[in-house]
Order: sequence, then C-alpha cells, then structure tokens
Amino acid sequence: MSTPSQQAQSGARDSVVGWQVALGVALLIGWEIAGRAGAARWVSEPSKIAVKLWIWLGGPLYVHLAATVTELVTGFAIGASLGALAGMMLGRSPVAAAVLRPVIVGLYSVPLVALAPLFIMFFGLGYLPKIVLVGIVTFFLLFFNTFSGAQRIDEDLVHSMEIMGAGRWEIFRKLVAPGCAVWIAGGIKTALPYALVATVTGELLATRAGLGLLLSQAAEQFDMTSIYAVLLLLMVIGLLLSEAANRIEQRVLRWRQAAE
Amino acid sequence: MDQIAPAPTQSRKRDDPAKIRLVGAGKTFQVRGTELEALKPVDLGVGGEEFVALVGPSGCGKSTILNLVAGLLAPSAGQVLYDGEPVTGPNRRVGYLTQKDTLLPWRSTADNIRISLELKCRATPRAEATDRVAQMMELVGLRGFEHHYPAELSGGMRKRAALARTLIYEPETLLMDEPFGALDAQLKLLMLDQLQRLTRHRRMTVLFVTHDLGEAITLADRIVVVSARPGRIRAVHEVRLPRPRDVFTIRFSEDFARQHERLWDELKDDIIKGTDV
Amino acid sequence: MAEQAGSVASLAFPGSRSGETPLARALTTPQGRIGARILLVAILLLAWEFAPVGKGTGFWLSKPSLVAGTIWQWILDGTLRVHLQATLAVMAEGYVTGCLAGIGIGIVLGLVPRLHRVVSPFLAGFYAMPKIALAPLFIILLGVGDLSKVALVAITVFFLVVTNTIEGVRDVDRDLVRSLTLMGATRVEVIRKVVVRSALPWIFTGMRIAVRYAFTNTLLAELIAANRGLGFLIEFNSGNFNITGAYAGIAVLVLCSVLLTELLSRLEARVSRWRG
Repeated sequence: MSTPSQQAQSGARDSVVGWQVALGVALLIGWEIAGRAGAARWVSEPSKIAVKLWIWLGGPLYVHLAATVTELVTGFAIGASLGALAGMMLGRSPVAAAVLRPVIVGLYSVPLVALAPLFIMFFGLGYLPKIVLVGIVTFFLLFFNTFSGAQRIDEDLVHSMEIMGAGRWEIFRKLVAPGCAVWIAGGIKTALPYALVATVTGELLATRAGLGLLLSQAAEQFDMTSIYAVLLLLMVIGLLLSEAANRIEQRVLRWRQAAE
Repeated sequence: MDQIAPAPTQSRKRDDPAKIRLVGAGKTFQVRGTELEALKPVDLGVGGEEFVALVGPSGCGKSTILNLVAGLLAPSAGQVLYDGEPVTGPNRRVGYLTQKDTLLPWRSTADNIRISLELKCRATPRAEATDRVAQMMELVGLRGFEHHYPAELSGGMRKRAALARTLIYEPETLLMDEPFGALDAQLKLLMLDQLQRLTRHRRMTVLFVTHDLGEAITLADRIVVVSARPGRIRAVHEVRLPRPRDVFTIRFSEDFARQHERLWDELKDDIIKGTDV
Repeated sequence: MAEQAGSVASLAFPGSRSGETPLARALTTPQGRIGARILLVAILLLAWEFAPVGKGTGFWLSKPSLVAGTIWQWILDGTLRVHLQATLAVMAEGYVTGCLAGIGIGIVLGLVPRLHRVVSPFLAGFYAMPKIALAPLFIILLGVGDLSKVALVAITVFFLVVTNTIEGVRDVDRDLVRSLTLMGATRVEVIRKVVVRSALPWIFTGMRIAVRYAFTNTLLAELIAANRGLGFLIEFNSGNFNITGAYAGIAVLVLCSVLLTELLSRLEARVSRWRG
C-alpha cells in the first residue's frame, strides 16, 4: 500500500505528464491550423510532415541516414581514441605538459568546425572530409579533457605501483587509463553533440548523401515539409546521442556512486 | 620489460651484513629554479630483520631517506645500497606504505589487494592469487568486504587493505612513512600490534618513519633521530626493551618512560624552534 | 631502470625519476618554458616555409610567407576590416538577444518550477538538435541577410543561458527567501534582492560559455550562406581553391579566437576580483 505522500507525489507526476501531453497536443493542433490557414508557406503542417516521414521511412531515407551516421561514428571513433590516447600519454609527461599547454589551450579556443570548407577543398565530396572534420573536432575535445585528467593523477599512486613492480605499460593500463576514464567519459559527453554539428555542417556545405543533403535540397526547393522532417530526425538523433553519452558516464562512475 | 634486479652474490652479502645502507647520501631538490637541500649527506645502515625507526620534526628529510631507499629519488650525493647493490630505480624488493592509502578507487578491495600479483614481474595464476587474497583479507580482518570500493570503507579499513596489498607479495623489507598517522589511538595500537606480529613472523626488515616517539619506542630496535631541515642524523638510540613487546601495556613501563624522556630531550629543541615546512 | 633522458619512451611514460633529467629541470623555469615554446613554433614555421616539396604538394601546402602576404594585402585594402566587422556585428547582436531572452525566460521558468517541469522535455529536445541545421530554415524565413544569422546565434545563446539561469534561480537558498518574506518584503522585492542576486554567478557562467558558442555559430552561419564575414572568407577562398586565401582566413580566425579567449579570461579575472 503506498503512503499518502507517495500517492500525492505520483499524483503530482501524473499531472505534469498530463500538462506536457496537453501542451504537445495543443502545439500540434495550433501548428496544423496555422498551416491550413495559409501560413503553410512558412510552417508547413504536422500532418504533412508526418506523411513525408512515413514515405521516407519506407525507403529513401536510409541511404542518407546511413551516410550521416557513418561519417559521424567513424570520425568520432577515430578522433576520440586518438585524442584520449594522446591526452593520456602527454598528460603524464611534465615536459610535454609544460611546453604544450598554452599551445593546446590556444588551439582549443578555435572553432575547428570552421575548417569544414578547407577539408572539402582537400578531400572532395565523399565521406572523407566529414570524417576528418568530425575526427579533428573530437580529437581536440577528448585530448583536452583526458590531458587534464592525466595530469591530475596522483603521483603517490604511481609510486606505489612502481614499488610493487609495475612496468610503464602496466602503469598505463592499470592506473592511467582507468584513472582517466571519468575524464574520457566527460569528454565524450561534450564531443558527441559537436560531432553531430560538424557532420551536419560538412553536409550542408557539400555532400553526395546525408541528412544535410536532404536539408539543403529541401531548402533550395522551398520544401518546408521536408525541412521540418529533417529537423525532427536530427532532434531524435541528437537525443539518442546524448542518452548514449549519459549511459557511458553512468557506467564509468559506478565506483564513485557506490560511495554516495 | 623491466625485471627484478638480480640477487647479489653470496660473497657480497658477507662483506656487508646491512640490508640497507646509505653512504654519504644526500638530496637536493630543484624547486622553481632554486636549490633546496632536503637532506645533508648521511650514513646509515639497517641490518637484516632489524626494525629501525626514523623520528624528527616535520619536513626534516625522514621521508626523503625513505624515498631514496625506495628508489623513487636518486641521491644528489653519495650512494644508496640495497643488499650491497646501488639502487637505480624503484626498488621492487620492498613494500611501501604511506600515510595516504594509495588504493585505486575504481577497484574493489579484493582487486586492489590482488593487483601486485597481476603484474608481470610476479604474475600468479588466477586461482592461487584469489586464495592468497582471501588469506590476506582474513589476516587483516577484512573478510566480507571483498567487493566494496575503497570509498565505502572507513579510514582504518582502507589502511588495513593497503597493508594487505603490501604484504601479499611478501617483500623482505617494509618502508613505512607515518602510515598510522591518521588513525585514532585505539586503532593505532591495534595496527601497531598487528605490524609487530607480522614483521617478526616473516622476519622482515623495517624502516619506519614517524613523529610519534611512543610508536617508535614500542616497535623499533633502533631509533634514528633526524634534525630539522636540512636533515642530518643527530643520533642513533638503541631500544633495549625486551621482545616480544606488549603494544598495549608497554607504555606504562619505566624503561619506556626513560627512553621516551631521553628522546624527547633530543628532539624538543628542534620542535620548539619550529620547523618551517 | 636507468634514467632514459631523451628517450621517447620516457616522454610518453615518465617514471618517478624523470623529473630529474636536465631537460625537465630546464623547464621548471618560466624562461625555459617560453623558450621551448618559441623554439617549437619557430621550427614548425621554418619547416613549413622551406620544406622541399614538389609542385603538387606545394600547391596544397602553400607557405607562411604567402599566407602572411595575403593577410597583409587584406589589411591594406580593407577586406579584413569589412569582414571582421560583419562577423563581430552578427555575433554581438545574436549574443545580446540570446542573453536577454535567456535570462528573462530563465528567471520565469526558475521561479515557476511547475511550468519548467512541463516545458523541460521540449527544451531538451531542442537543445539536442544541432542548431546549425536551422540555418537553411532561417534563410528561407528571414532572408539571406544578417537577420537569419543573428537569429541562429541568438537561439544557440538562448538555450545555453536559459539552462544556466534556471539552475541559478533554483539554487537560491529557500531559507533566505523565507526570512525576507517574513520581514515583509513583497514578491518582487524578494526576487530582486535575493533570487537574482544569488543566481548571478550561474547567469554569468552561462553568459561566459555562450560567448564561444556565439562566435562558433556566427562563423558556421557565415559558412553556410553569407556574403560577408570571416566564415565567408574561408568558404569563399576554399570554394575557389585559393589555398593561400583559405589558410589566411584560418590564420585570422585562430588569431581572433585566441584574442577572444584571452579577453574573456582577463575579464573574468577582473570580475572575480571585485566579487571577492
């Protein structure tokens, strides 16, 4: 039997969800009405958007979806692993840290996504420029986070491992890498949204396939319905990515949460 | 990969019975461009199975001596010898316990204790390692906490886990840097008792840094008094209290009191002068 | 394990005694560090300038001297000024708009938690979407001029600032609010004196982070569709395969980013000093 306060709480929660559903429905209805009343030129209509999505999901979408996802995942995987590795290795070296730090901080402040046209110039219209762009953006973010983490590793932990007889590679595997895991997870959380932005930017500029292409094609044809449809898809992808990043962080922080 | 330094030959051992020997060993640090002399050249010998305590005011270089023997620092002057051979890197024949328990926070207690057995230089088959970890945990009284993370253990329990981790690979020498400083009085006595039993049972050589004179007198065969920075060895006192010593009651004996007084006399000047760490 | 001064392995996996090599010791002095950095940059620049490369690679690589020359040209003929002004203008307008909207709506949502709870999944959804994807939409709705870019920047800044502001308002000490209310303060007075005041650090944090986002998104918007601005410079030169021009644009970009970051941190230091 639930207590009165529990019942009150779940009642409150239900009402929030209720309001959310009501708000959502109201927005959709309002949108639909606005569209039919003549503003469709600007805002389209939810019904049309739904239809468009349905058609796309029947087949034509997958080529583009695959392109975008491939570019994103490939670039991210390469950039993140290299960035984390470099961060861990250089973060442990006082020489590298002292010399490189301001250079890295300086570079970190540059919006690397703005290099997109450069890469397209170099690598053309295929997957490669986007992969390189995503890779570089991810690399720097992961590098910076991991570098900070590696620098903060307790020297005493290193000493105790050395005394026990750990070799350098063992210290790396058993101390540095797990020690940086928290920072890497944080880096991933920051980098994933950026990776998506980089992918979409690259595609908007020039591509043969991808959601960005759908978007720019729709824009050229003033096809509002398709534009909104793509935006919706991107929203879903964005949400999935941030959920994934959160799950990763949860897993890594298990030992910290145990204490709380 | 790196290997354990080869054992010295028998003839070497006969030449110098000392397990640890510092010959004119001193240490100067470079801090932000200036030189800081932490330890003036000292001579010290620790024999096999001996328990030697280093006492002195804070920041006087006791820990530096320990780190030299551990091989974490290279001497700026003189030599540091272990078993007759110069120490050229982290010394794997010793166990090292500090005030800070250096357990890895993301590993469970059992995995922390097991870690030395995972290393290449003393790789142990899984089953055997698990057994030894269980034995060790029993020994230090942590049975039942295998899967707890360090953050879930109390300070005293973490200390015991650190001790277990150090002893599990059966080092012949133990280096300890104020390991029980943060514990309350009761727990401290328990740990001292346990330490005495273990080190006598396993015939370990111990170099023990502390600022607690009572601790030193209770456990040590000899007490080395180190002066304030830059550290020098002021004196070496023999502790003639008979063994085995009852950690809990020895404080009430007259001999203990006398020894304590003598040591305190030696040290109080330095402590009153106040050391600027 | 002897000291392996100079070995690459010891750079990547330093042991306890690595701090004692002569190189490490030299770097403990500030002069040593600055010297090392200058050396590093100088070596890189020289290598870039004088690397013996064939025609093909030379085309893609260009040279620092050529790039510098282009930048100089731009300074002389006013190109740089025009485009930098355009970028700055869009960035400033978008930033201010976004901040005002973010703070205003953030305070409201923070004060009415119920409203926030209802609205928050919608906010989260929009937050997750890559804002740059809105660029084509805005261009259709608002034209090819500055307005679409400003709108894009404003929306990005808005989401950042609103999140921080809401947190800041929610973070207010309830007891403080209660005691002031008991003293007889009106709702508005409480809001002004306590809520806004204690939410300020959060708001400032949001505004601080938002500057970088404003910069980035201004550039992105200019990449996509613009005829002026730093982003446009880079895109235009890249599109025409003018390698040197593209590099020059990027060099200016890096310079501006570094200046911006430096400015921000100085400002921050000032602000935190008189806030104690």
